[in-house]
Amino acid sequence: MTEPVTVTINRRQVNAPAGELLIKTAQDNGVYIPRFCWHPRMNPVGMCRMCLVEIETPRGPLMVTSCTTPVSDGMTVDTANPTVKKAQEGVLEFLLINHPLDCPVCDRAGECPLQDQTMAYGPGESRFVEEKRHFEKPIPISELVMLDRERCILCARCTRFSEEISGDPLIEFQERGNYTEVNTFPDEPFRSYFSGNTVQICPVGALTATPYRFRARPWDLTFVESTCQHCSSGDRINLQSSQNRLLRILGVDSEPTNQGWLSDKCRFGFEYVASPARLTSPLVRDEEGELREVSWGEALDYAGKALGEVISRSGGRAVAGLGGARGTNEDAYAFSKFLRSAVGTNSVDCQMDDGLDPRLLSGVVDRARIADLENAGSILVWGPDLKEEHPTLYLRVRRAAQELGAGLVVVHPRGTGLDDRASVKVTYQPGSGGEVLSELMDGNGRMAEAREVLSKGPVVALLGRPGYGESPDLAEATAAFVRSLPDATILPLARRGNVFGALDMGLSPALLPGRAQRGTLAAQMLADRWGELPAASGRDCRGILEGLESGDIEALVLVGADPVRDVPDGELARRALANAGLVVAIDQFLTDSSRMADVVFPAMGFSEVEGTVTNIEGRVLKVNRLTPGPGQSRPDWAILSDLAARLGADLGLVSAQQISEEVEELADIYRGVNWERLDWEDRDGIVVSGDLGYVPVFSHVASVSPRPGEMALHYARTMYDDGVMMRESPSLRPLAPGSGAHLHPTDAARLGVGEGDSVDVTSSSGSLQAGVVIDPTLEPGVVYVPFNQPDTASLGSVPGVRVSA
Amino acid sequence: MVEIRSPSVRRGWSESARARASEIVGQYPEPRSAVMPLLYLAMAEEGYLTDNGMREVASLVGLTPAQVRAVASFYTMYKRDDPGRYLISCCTSISCMLLGSDEVLRAIEDESDVTAGETDPEELISVEHVECIGACGGAPAVTVNYELIEGMTAESARELVRWLRTARPEAIVGAECQELFGGRRSFDWGPFDRDSALGPYPAFGPLGTVSGPAEDQDG
Repeated sequence: MTEPVTVTINRRQVNAPAGELLIKTAQDNGVYIPRFCWHPRMNPVGMCRMCLVEIETPRGPLMVTSCTTPVSDGMTVDTANPTVKKAQEGVLEFLLINHPLDCPVCDRAGECPLQDQTMAYGPGESRFVEEKRHFEKPIPISELVMLDRERCILCARCTRFSEEISGDPLIEFQERGNYTEVNTFPDEPFRSYFSGNTVQICPVGALTATPYRFRARPWDLTFVESTCQHCSSGDRINLQSSQNRLLRILGVDSEPTNQGWLSDKCRFGFEYVASPARLTSPLVRDEEGELREVSWGEALDYAGKALGEVISRSGGRAVAGLGGARGTNEDAYAFSKFLRSAVGTNSVDCQMDDGLDPRLLSGVVDRARIADLENAGSILVWGPDLKEEHPTLYLRVRRAAQELGAGLVVVHPRGTGLDDRASVKVTYQPGSGGEVLSELMDGNGRMAEAREVLSKGPVVALLGRPGYGESPDLAEATAAFVRSLPDATILPLARRGNVFGALDMGLSPALLPGRAQRGTLAAQMLADRWGELPAASGRDCRGILEGLESGDIEALVLVGADPVRDVPDGELARRALANAGLVVAIDQFLTDSSRMADVVFPAMGFSEVEGTVTNIEGRVLKVNRLTPGPGQSRPDWAILSDLAARLGADLGLVSAQQISEEVEELADIYRGVNWERLDWEDRDGIVVSGDLGYVPVFSHVASVSPRPGEMALHYARTMYDDGVMMRESPSLRPLAPGSGAHLHPTDAARLGVGEGDSVDVTSSSGSLQAGVVIDPTLEPGVVYVPFNQPDTASLGSVPGVRVSA
Repeated sequence: MVEIRSPSVRRGWSESARARASEIVGQYPEPRSAVMPLLYLAMAEEGYLTDNGMREVASLVGLTPAQVRAVASFYTMYKRDDPGRYLISCCTSISCMLLGSDEVLRAIEDESDVTAGETDPEELISVEHVECIGACGGAPAVTVNYELIEGMTAESARELVRWLRTARPEAIVGAECQELFGGRRSFDWGPFDRDSALGPYPAFGPLGTVSGPAEDQDG
C-alpha cells in the first residue's frame, strides 16, 4: 500500500490513499461532487463534465474533472466556489439542451440523478429556445430493456458496463456529433444476461426495464434489503413493492458478493411470486384421484395419518425427504429435524442428483472465499459455465482476469462466457475429463501453458460438474490435484439457491446441522436435544428415487423440490413418484412433481418469509419479508412443525427467529450468527468457518466413451430454463433458449443437417426432438443439449446419445 | 488466448478477401486495431458497407457488430448506403469555400439534379459535401470516386457531371480528370500514371490492399 497523502478539500485537510480519485476522496469525506458518468465500480472516463472542481496549481487555479484526477500530496481543491458553480450550471444547461421535459411521464422521475442534480446545481432556467433533437420514443433494445434516446445524456455508463463488466458490448455509441445515440446493431438485440444493470445505473430515464415500466412511482415504493435465492452466490438485493406487490429488485453494492451487480434472472425473476398459479390452499387427492382443496386441519390429518401408517408399518427408514435448497436455513433446519427426529430417517437430500459430495461442497479443506479472487495469481475454472449458473461469480472472475491481472485457465466442453479473458482454454469431450486431468497434472505438451499459468499463486480453483455427462467424482479428483498448486484454495460449485445453507442444516444423508458428521461428539450433543437419531445410514437423491421405484422406500416428503423436472434422469423421478405409496409436497406451485403428490401444502417463499441463507463460500446472509404470502400459504417450518405434531412429535419450533437461535445454540460454526447482527452491522453477512476439513481424495476417473454410433453428450443448465420460477415469470419465460442440439459443423455435415433442422436425440433413458444449432465451440463428436427446457423430455446423466436426422 | 481445440470452419466472404483480411489483422499487435482497414475491405467486397460486412469484420477482430458499427458510423467515408457508380465529393472547408466551393457544389447539384447526400434514381451519380480533402493549394477541389480534381469552377463542374453522364468511364483516374476539367494545381503531380489510381478505397494504398489499377477492383 502506498503512503497516504494529505489533501485540502474546501479548506479542510483530509487523508487519502495516494492515487485515489478525487471524487471518491471527497465523497468519503462528506463532500459530494455531482456526477453522471462516474461509477465507483467502473473505470473513469470524464465524459459528462459534471464533476468539475478547481485545484490549485503552480500556474494558478485549474478546472479538472474530479473523476479522472488522482489525489496527490498537498493538493488544494475547491468544489463549490463561484467558478465551479458556474461550470456546473453550464454543464447542466448543455445537458438539458436535448433532454426532453417529460419528467411527469418518466419512470425515473423522483429518483433521477439528472432531475436531482438540476435541482441542486442547475441554472434554474434554460436559454435554449431552438428545437430539441428527436428520436423515435422508446424502442425495445431487448425483451427486457427499452431505450429512449431523447432522454440519453451520453454518459456511457451502460456501454462501459457492457464492455468492461459483463463483457458483452452489444450496445455502443452510434453515429456522430449531434446525432450520437446509444444503440444496438440493427439485428442483434441487447440480449445480455446482465442488461438490467444498465437500467439501474442509467442516470436518466433513457433505459427502462419492461417488467417495471409504469408500474409504480419511486415515492410509492416500500423496500427492504434481502438476498437473492436464484443462485448460490448470495447477491444482496433491495426488494421494492407497492400495494403489497413485489415490483422491482435493485442490486445492493455488497463488497464480498455481488458488488452492486445482478443477473437479469435475479433482477427480473421475481414475477412468479405474484403468479396466479401460486397455491393458496392445501390439496388432498380424493377418491377420484383429483387434487381437491381442503382445510389445513383436514390436510394435516390426512398426511399425518398416512405418514404415521408407513412409519409404524415399515419404520422411519421407509420415508425419505427431498428438497429444502430453495428456502431459508430456518426452513431447512426444520425439515432436517422433522425427518430425523419425528420420522426417523437419514434419507434426505437437498441436491437433485446434480452436484458433488456434500462434504466436499461445504467442508473442503482450504475452502476459498469469493474475495480470494481479488488477490488471485491464477484462477482455474473447471465446472459449469459460470455465466449460465453463477452469473455474479462470473463477473467476479471476469474482473479478476481482466482488471486485476490474474491468469485464467478455463476447462469446459464448449465455449463459455469467460473464454475471451482466459489465458488458456481447454475444450474437451465430456466423459474424457479424467484424461484431461491426467494431462493437466503431467503438464506436458499442450497443457504446458496451462500449468505455467497455474504456477502463479495464490491459485483459486472453482470446481464443479460441467454437465451431467461428466462424473461428479472428477471435481473431487481435480480438487485433490489443485491442492498441490501454490497457495491453492478451492471453491466447490453448486448452483441451487440455498444449497449450502441446506447442507449446513443437515439436508444430506451424511451430514447433520453445523456440518457435523454422524457418530461425532457434535452429533451426540444434537441427539441430546433432538432425541435419538436414526441409526441406519440414509440414501442420497438418486438412492431415494431408486428406492421408491423398487419399493424399499414407501413415502416421500418434498419441500420445494421438483425432481421430475430437476434431476438429470427425469424419467426415473417420474417412475419413482408414480410408484411411491405416499407423496407429501410442500410447494408454492403445482409442479410436475407436486402434481403427483397425495397431499400438497401451500408454502410461502421468497419475499414472504424472513430468515437466513448461506452462500457458496459459507457466508450467512439475511433474507427479509416484504409481501404477504398468497391465500392460506404458510412457511415451511410451520407446516413441518404441525405435521410432526400429527406424528406425535413436538419439534419445539415457534418462530423462524427462534429456529435461528436454536441453530446458533446447536451448531458450533453458527455460534454468534444471529438476526440482529445480520440486520444491522453485518448486512454483508458473516462467514461461518470451522469446516469439516474434508481432504479431497484423488481417484483416477475412468473415461467414459459413447457407444459406437453415439455422440458424447454435454447436458448442462442454462440461466433461463423451464424451472417453475422461470416458467411463472412472464418476462423471463420467453428467454429460455428452448430445446436444441448443438453440433460441431463437421458433425452437422456428417449428419447432413443445417442450422434449424430438426433431429432426434435419444438416450437410454429418454428422447427428445431438437433444432440443430451449429456450434463450432464444441469438439467434434459432442452434442450439447440444454437441460430442462420448455416442452422437452429428460435425457438422463448418460455419457452418450444417438443423434439422427 | 491460447486455444486448445480442433480447428473450426468459417463461412461468409470470398477466400481471397479472407486471406487479405487475415494478412491485415496480422499487421497489428491487437486484432481490433485492424477494424478500420477491414471496413474498407468490407466495402470492396460488397460495394458498400453492409450489415453483413460489419458482422464479418466483427468476427475477424473479436468485437461485437455493435462496436464495429460504432466505428463505421462515426466516419463518413464508410458508405453504409450503396452510392451511385460515381461519387462526387465536393470540399466545402474553409480554403475551398473562400475560393467558391459553394458555387461548385450548387453547380454539381443543379447539373446532376442530385442533392448533396443523395443518389440519382439511376444510381449513377451520388453527390456529397465533405470536409477538407487536403487540397487547399488547389482549391476549390472535388473528388470523384476519391480521385482528386483541383481548381474547379462552377462551369467545369457542370462539364464534369455531363461527361460522367455521357462518357460513363470504366474507371476514374484523377490525372485524366484533372486534364479535362481541372484548373490550378497545388503542386506538380508528375507524369500521368494510370496504375497509380487507388480506386474508392484510399486507405488500401499504404497497406497494399489494392494490387492493381482501379478497374480490376470491380471484377
